[in-house]
Amino acid sequence: MSRLLLDARDIGITFGGLKAVQGLTLQLPPGVLHGLIGPNGAGKTTAFNLLTGVYQPQSGSITLDSTRIDALPPHQIAKAGLCRTFQNIRLFGELTVLDNVRTACHCRGSHSIFATVLRSGPFVRQELAMHRRSMELLEVFGLAHLAREQAKNLPYGDQRRLEICRALATQPKVLLLDEPAAGMNPSEKRSLANAIRHIKDRYNLAVLLIEHDMGLVMDICQHITVLDHGVTIAAGPPAHIQNDPKVCEAYLGQPVDAVTT
Amino acid sequence: MAATDTNPIAAPTDLAAHYAAITGTGSMALRILAPILACLAVGLAVTGLGAALGDYPDNVLKQVGVFIIAAVSLNIVNGFTGQFSMGHAGFMAVGGYVAAGVSYYASLLYFGTAQAQDGLLTMGHVFMSLGVVVGACAAAGMGYLVGLPSLRLRGDYLAIVTLGFGEIVRVILQQTSPQVNAADPAQLQALRDAPFSTLITLPFNGPLGFEAIPRYANNAWVWAVAAATCVVAYRVKTSSSGRAFLSIREDEIAARSMGINLTRYKVRAFVLAAFFAGVAGGLLAHIGVPLSPVDAGFQRSFEIIIMVVLGGLGSISGAVLAAVLLTVIPELLRDLQQYRLILYALLLILVMLLRPQGLFGVREIWDLWSAKRPTTPPVTPPNSPPNSPPAEPAP
Amino acid sequence: MPELLTTLITTIAVGALYALLALGYTLVYGVLKFINFAHSDIFVLGCWTSFTASTILLAALGLASDAAPIWVVGVVLLLTVTVCAAVGYCVERFAYRPLRKAPRLNVLITAIGVSLLLQNVGQLPGFTVATTPDGKTPTATIPFGASPKSMPALIEDRVLNQTNVAQGALTPGERRGLVRLDQPVQLQDGRAYTLEVTRRVIPGAAERPRTDKLSIIRPNTTDQASTASVTIPAGADLQTIPRRSPQEVQGASYRLVQEPRVAIRLIDVLIVTFALILMAGLQVLIFRTSLGRAMRAISFNTDNAALMGINVNRVISFTFILGTALAAAAAFLYPLKYAGLNQPAHQVWVLLGLKAFVAAVVGGIGNVRGAVLGGFLIAGVEQFGMFYGDQLFLALGARQGLGTSLGDVYVFTVLILVLLLRPSGILGTTVREKV
Repeated sequence: MSRLLLDARDIGITFGGLKAVQGLTLQLPPGVLHGLIGPNGAGKTTAFNLLTGVYQPQSGSITLDSTRIDALPPHQIAKAGLCRTFQNIRLFGELTVLDNVRTACHCRGSHSIFATVLRSGPFVRQELAMHRRSMELLEVFGLAHLAREQAKNLPYGDQRRLEICRALATQPKVLLLDEPAAGMNPSEKRSLANAIRHIKDRYNLAVLLIEHDMGLVMDICQHITVLDHGVTIAAGPPAHIQNDPKVCEAYLGQPVDAVTT
Repeated sequence: MAATDTNPIAAPTDLAAHYAAITGTGSMALRILAPILACLAVGLAVTGLGAALGDYPDNVLKQVGVFIIAAVSLNIVNGFTGQFSMGHAGFMAVGGYVAAGVSYYASLLYFGTAQAQDGLLTMGHVFMSLGVVVGACAAAGMGYLVGLPSLRLRGDYLAIVTLGFGEIVRVILQQTSPQVNAADPAQLQALRDAPFSTLITLPFNGPLGFEAIPRYANNAWVWAVAAATCVVAYRVKTSSSGRAFLSIREDEIAARSMGINLTRYKVRAFVLAAFFAGVAGGLLAHIGVPLSPVDAGFQRSFEIIIMVVLGGLGSISGAVLAAVLLTVIPELLRDLQQYRLILYALLLILVMLLRPQGLFGVREIWDLWSAKRPTTPPVTPPNSPPNSPPAEPAP
Repeated sequence: MPELLTTLITTIAVGALYALLALGYTLVYGVLKFINFAHSDIFVLGCWTSFTASTILLAALGLASDAAPIWVVGVVLLLTVTVCAAVGYCVERFAYRPLRKAPRLNVLITAIGVSLLLQNVGQLPGFTVATTPDGKTPTATIPFGASPKSMPALIEDRVLNQTNVAQGALTPGERRGLVRLDQPVQLQDGRAYTLEVTRRVIPGAAERPRTDKLSIIRPNTTDQASTASVTIPAGADLQTIPRRSPQEVQGASYRLVQEPRVAIRLIDVLIVTFALILMAGLQVLIFRTSLGRAMRAISFNTDNAALMGINVNRVISFTFILGTALAAAAAFLYPLKYAGLNQPAHQVWVLLGLKAFVAAVVGGIGNVRGAVLGGFLIAGVEQFGMFYGDQLFLALGARQGLGTSLGDVYVFTVLILVLLLRPSGILGTTVREKV
């Protein structure tokens, strides 16, 4: 826990009178799989939007690998090394699977219009490198054979995987996954969990995960933060969270003695 | 490049082939020279076709070429980037008037007449080329100015701002001062004596329209430039920048989150589109059609939009095909001239109701053809290449 | 100062027209979340319908173009509203409804197509339907064609705040262009005077009494803008513009009126009154009736409104009809103020609609009060811009009239500025896209 990749301290935002997220602190060292859970409307996705710059936090600070990112526009945050997937899938539907991933390679270097039109040497080399890296990622998620399909034609589970692939193509240091397993069956979830663990280790990422499947979260996360009504009500390792009365209350509405997951 | 190609890419072979087709094989010199030669060949071929068909078809062909440039360039901003510009005719008019102004007044000062000089490559052709380039740059500058608001405006709002831009250009062009008459020695002398103070008043003939511009642009010029425009558009589309454009069109929020700088790419699309619109306008001025301020207004912008929408937003070959069809068919049906715009309008509505993606959608003609071929058997996750990680359990 | 007030009055009248049109844009945007590009064409259609209907009616009744009884005015208004509302309904039903779930860009393109269709169908050369007996207005055709037309003066315009100076019998002067009054009058400095000459009725002639309005030129001056105060003795020669022959003046009666410094015209008053009544009615409809509540519910969330039992299609159709009816009202009023329907449809006419659209956007599209505010604001920018712009450009050494002809430029500049500084308009609310 020496170096922190993502260090969000005390961030908050208010919409009108609604305190959507308040005093949220998230600290992710490299290689951690951090779960962010909470009932519907707890502010999880808003927290993601704050981290990725879709909304500007009204208080607190966000540091990514010792760079302040809370005032940056989203594309610069992505370039700094923080990328996300979306809860309601936001793929580039008309583009092919391969192009979806290659588009995300873009922030690691692009060429001027002149180099593009003249097809200069560096341009061609870089395009090929992007192609290679994209295919490699598709491979990891078992999507390589679908590379030429339009993204909108993919089945739901593949679209979720493609979203992760695309986010990885930006070469992030921290990856935010917003309900990546939503709508998947148990065996798909298992292989997704494996894939997430694999990419985390391979690229030495920190992963922040929003998920409703408690089994999955408790299984793969080393650390969990629980939000309710925008406030952090518990944080700690899975075993600790499972027995926290406030968490049970938030999920079930009243204190209960024992909870099974 | 050959070296990088042999690197074991974990790609099905047809992808590698497809990719080679995009980037072009061979040395950089060949990658630059081949399209130039191809453009010249297109220009010469169409010139031959025009000569064979006669005067009138020859003129129609020139207009077709100009509208191909206009439609393909509008496609960059409307089709690729999804920013709905309705001021394309405004950019064309800026390019056209500047180009015509440069070449008309340069001819007056240099030759003392605006008659086109005989010969394949005269000083007059140089003036035209210079004018077209200057005009295109002026249009690109305008594109930059119009592109900036596009950062904050979406869809309908942007459409109306660009529409307003075209109208502003029209109103301003209507206020320009009378043209120097080449046939009047006194006016000519006044121009020679004080060229700057005459030209600063923008002598573009106001609402009457700028006339008697030397006709240097023959089919060879127009079609070579049109082919070059297509090459540029295609190379942009199949590049990192092109994918950035397309991703903005598909989903701005996702594009932004994947590191695409919306500001840069929206403005870039506008500048690029406006530049080629300026080229189209400049060439149009030199094929013998008098320039009129009305052409900067929305009527002409609509015509180009229809070409792009019919061809398929994002499809270059679709835009070319639609530009050819929508310019040639009305010429064939001259008796129905007054119904032309009505048919266009009906076409636009029907396309939207029945085939909203246009003829080809974002794809190209040859993509449709290759899509019909039996696809290569789905490659089950191939054997992992030597340098890739241990294979994942296939989901 | 008088010029300023005159500009202000024009602003209010034109602003009321813009506001009526802007309301149509804003209502449709409210329920469908897209800009109905065809709205300005509905307005043009309304102008032409108003022209055609009044010409046909006057021809059928055998009346002169400026002698319409009041019920003809009502019938014309009713017809204009009916035709526009019917076309508006069809456009919504057949072009927009099938695309309710389509991407916004497709709807936008369709709207452009509808706009183009209406424009160009309207410009087709038509077949003649009617000509008014006095031949003062050109023939009405269906479709309307591209040739210039002049709207019959259904409601004769006049200045309301003129001062009556004298009236009596007129005698011809020595030559053409001179008249003699039967009493001494004093012409004050800096004021314009109008001589209203009513010709005698020749017994047996078909012609009914006609009133000519002539300007007066003071003795020893060449134009009517004289500053000198002068007294004209009875029977002295008085020069008029336009000139009238002695035969025309012989035996006519006259009325000499002093023109006010700031003229308040009947048409302007009518336009503003009518528009204000409609706006008040709309306000009541939207905020006080169940139909208005349904419209607001759909505007808030279409799907939820449908779940609450609102017949969405019917309410949207009604909103379209309402919006086009307002455009029709504006289209009925506009040619009464500006009789010359002599522009090809694709220029000034559609541009007027576009400016109304700008008004809706500047006020905050989707917001009814914003549309009214925007209408007056845009009219102000245009009119005052033309007034001061001309003075500015003259001072800068440009030629006369340059600043005036740039009216559209001012409007679109304001649009761009507002959209850059406050993209949702003055009274609009920002909508966040849900991520």
